Parts: sequence; structure tokens; C-alpha cells
Amino acid sequence: MTPSRRPRPVPDEQSAPYWTAAAEHVLTVARCARCGRYTIPVDIVCASCHSTAPGYRFEPVSGHGTVRSWTVIRQSFVPGFEHDVPFVLVDVELDEQVGLRMIGRLLDGVDAPLHVGDRVTVAFEDVDPEWSVPAFTLDAS
Amino acid sequence: MSEGFAARDEVAIVGYAQSAIQRHADRPLGALAVDTALAAITDAGLTADQIDGFVGSALFPTAGAHAAVDGVSIVTPGWLAEHLGVNPRYASGFQGFGQIPGSVALAVNAVASGAADHVLLHRALHNPAGRYHANPMQEAAGATQWTVPQGFFGPLAMIALPYNEYLQRYGASREAMAAVVVEARKNGARIPWSYWHGRPLATQDYLDEPAIADPIARFDCDIPVDGVGAFVLTSAARAKDLPHRPVHVSGYALGHSTVRRVMTHWPLDDIMTTGAETARRLWAHAGIGRGEVDLPQLYDGFSPLVYFWLEALGYCGPGEAHELVQCGIDSDAADALPILSGGGALGNGRMHGVPQMLECYLQLSGRAGERQRPGTSVGLACHASPHLGGAVVYRAGS
Repeated sequence: MTPSRRPRPVPDEQSAPYWTAAAEHVLTVARCARCGRYTIPVDIVCASCHSTAPGYRFEPVSGHGTVRSWTVIRQSFVPGFEHDVPFVLVDVELDEQVGLRMIGRLLDGVDAPLHVGDRVTVAFEDVDPEWSVPAFTLDAS
Repeated sequence: MSEGFAARDEVAIVGYAQSAIQRHADRPLGALAVDTALAAITDAGLTADQIDGFVGSALFPTAGAHAAVDGVSIVTPGWLAEHLGVNPRYASGFQGFGQIPGSVALAVNAVASGAADHVLLHRALHNPAGRYHANPMQEAAGATQWTVPQGFFGPLAMIALPYNEYLQRYGASREAMAAVVVEARKNGARIPWSYWHGRPLATQDYLDEPAIADPIARFDCDIPVDGVGAFVLTSAARAKDLPHRPVHVSGYALGHSTVRRVMTHWPLDDIMTTGAETARRLWAHAGIGRGEVDLPQLYDGFSPLVYFWLEALGYCGPGEAHELVQCGIDSDAADALPILSGGGALGNGRMHGVPQMLECYLQLSGRAGERQRPGTSVGLACHASPHLGGAVVYRAGS
């Protein structure tokens, strides 16, 4: 596999478990140990209960969600996507919590019919042998 | 707690200057800023040594790798004071998205409190060589690890997602937006300092432009420029002795969404929910209602923001802005809302909220020349988005 030129995520102390899980094709979302609410992205203080010791853990989620919006990216502004344009980005509300939204590539191509409310499931792009990035695919209707 | 502004109409704009707005100026941004600041001070009938307050925002709104260098690609209030040879009693920068309303708030509060007597407010914007938003990053650390690896990058995708959410939710068409962009360019074409002076845009040319991030195309975005706008503010009492009719600041409001998101992730409901609160605060602060505003200047750095502001401010119901703009915003029609009479950002270039503030000032001070709109007494100038930006209400003095 040719090494990708796509910008490589730099896991930090807080995010390392997220990227480790992603490499195993498991989508996780930070969850506050105090109030149980999920948040994207992870934070210092809980965005819901404002605990300053939220004890966030990246917990596996179902990976199922609903399309709330999308765009077709036709020009690349960062390296590594030159051969991917045009591609679709979807704004997905994850099933785990009302309003919990995440943006990723839709891997079905730009010609796949798409509607608000369509169901999607997480998929992973193996960008190189060491890291994978979450994306989505349309569920069979 | 009263939400009314204790300093309502007690601080006034008394002078201005606007540089030529160019794709690339032939002089450093800092030199342009000093010249523009001096012109504004002179216009106000003052001298630099009388300016004891400097405010502004130095945000360099590029997602690219361009460096923010004071005097070159940004100009901070402190840099400007130093290069005018002034040691000000008060200098402060606004940190946030609604840079112009935020800077006006700093200036008004400084004058009203006595922290400064004469405040210079400026905004200097730079267009660096190369692609404005291109970024050769090889690593995505910190906040960017949540966006860039999956292909989500920059302000075009940021605005395209809520815009498409709007189109899908309300059955609006991309074509409807031509009315907004053509109106901005029509008015910008009449403004001598505008980058688009003499160059209106035809509807068909708007429609023919291919999307970059659907449904956003090139003309939905303001064009990056070099340019500086500057204003002088002082107390309403001192303003009486200065040459121009003052324009009073009646009130302002800024929003800040409390929903945790990646910074560039703007779901439509986030924009409109917090935006409604921004508008409510604005009316309470200024002590007026929408019906009293005869010059609303909405922010249009990206065209969909016009829809969002129209609805947040209550000029129409949710999902109706795309219909309202079809026949309701022509500044040449007697019964229309002249929301882009000053050309906005789409009709001037990427001057952030300066064109909106400047149009309010020029019209309410009676200094708009052949563009003067008779009987204009209350203006409203927006900037950025309703959930992260803000707005100011202005009233003509006597």
C-alpha cells in the first residue's frame, strides 16, 4: 500500500483510545462518567453537566445514525484528497443521543441518491497499515 | 437584571475612513492601516494625540498555513497605536466571531465608562499570496484530528452543510440565492472603494458557476482582499462639537452557542436556536423592535448567512427567507427591506462586518452622497452567524 498523504491524526493523551479503537474498526464516542452523556469532540469539562472531572471514556457506539445534511467536496484544500474529489461529506446524527452529530465521508460515491433521514452505518477507511478513519455507508433500503 | 443598555445612545460614531479594497495592495497592510486610521481621525475633526483608545479584532480568517504577522497580515489595536505614535489609555482586541459588533461593544463600553474619550476602531484584512484556505498540513493534531482526517476541512464545508440542511428542510432551491448575491453585487458596484466597483453580477453568471462544496459556489463567498476600515467613536456630548452628524450606538448583542461541537460544525438548529437568543438580546439591549429599523444590514460573508439572519431577526418565519429575497430586498424598491444596500461582503470584498457598519454610518449621518436614502434614522449591522456573531443597532443623532 502506498503511504497516504492524507494528514495523519496525532493521538494525544486524551484521544489515544479513540484512534486505537478506530484502527480496530470500532467507533467510540467520549462519554462523561458523571452524567453519562456523550460529546463530540471530547472536552476538558463535561459539555452537559459541566463536571470538571468528567472522567471521559471513549465507549463503543452502534455506528448507526441518520443523515441530517451533506455536501459534495469538489476541491481539495489539504493534501491527500486530490484523487478522492469529488466526494460526499455527511453530517450524521448518531443513534445514541439526540443531537449527537458527527461528520464523515460517505463512501457510496457522489451519484448515490441521498436524502435527509437516510440511515447510515459507520465504515472505516484504512488509510495506511497503522491508522483507520471513520466514514459512513448508506444502509440498504 | 435589566437587559436594556445603560449607555444607550450615549456614544457616537463621529468619523470614518475606508481604504480602497483590492485583491493585493501594493503596500504593506500596516501602512494601509496607519493611513486609513489617520484619515478617519482627520475626518472626525481630531488629531492623533486626541485618540486615547484603540479597539479592533485581528483575526486572520484563513484555514490555510499563512502566518499571522502584526503589521503584515494582521494589525492589532496595539500595533496601530504604536505606529501612530500614541500611548493610549485603553487598547483592547476582541476575541470572537462577531468581530465588528464585538469591537463596537469594546469601544462603546470604553467611552461610556470613561476609560477613553476618543476611540479608534479598525479592521484590517489581508489576502496572502497563494490559495487563501489551502493548507499543506501533514499531521492533524489537537482539534483538527476530529475533522481533517475524514476530509472535513475549512469554511466552505462548514457553511455548505447547514445551507444544504436548509435547502432540504424547506424545499428551497440553490437558484433562489441568486437574488441575494446579485443584489449585493448591484450595490457594491456603485461603491467607489469596492473591489467590485462597476462590476455587477448577472443572475445567469451566478447560476453558471460550478459548486465547490455543494451547494456553495464561488460567488456565494466573499472574495479575499486587502483593505482597512476605521471609525472614531466618542461620547454623544463631545460629538456635538465635531464636524459631522453623529450616529449613536443604541445597543448591541453577541451570541455564543453552548452546544459542544467541532468549531466548524454548524448544524442548522444550533444556528437558529442560539440566533433567536442573539436577536432577543439585541432588541432588549437597544430598546427597540424590528419595526423601527429602516436600514437592516445583514451579514453575507457566505450568502446563506443572509437567510439565517433574516429568520433569526424575525423578518420572516422559519424557512421563508428564500422566498422573501425573491422580491423583498431590492434596495431600489420603495417598499423593500434594503438588507444589502451597502453591498455587504459579497459586494465589497472580505471586509468582515465593516461594509454593514459603514453603510449604517453613512446613511444615518447623511453622508452617503448620491446613494443617500432619505428618512433613514435607525440602522442595524450584523456580522458573522446568528449563533456565534452579533449585531449593533444605530440611531441617527441630531
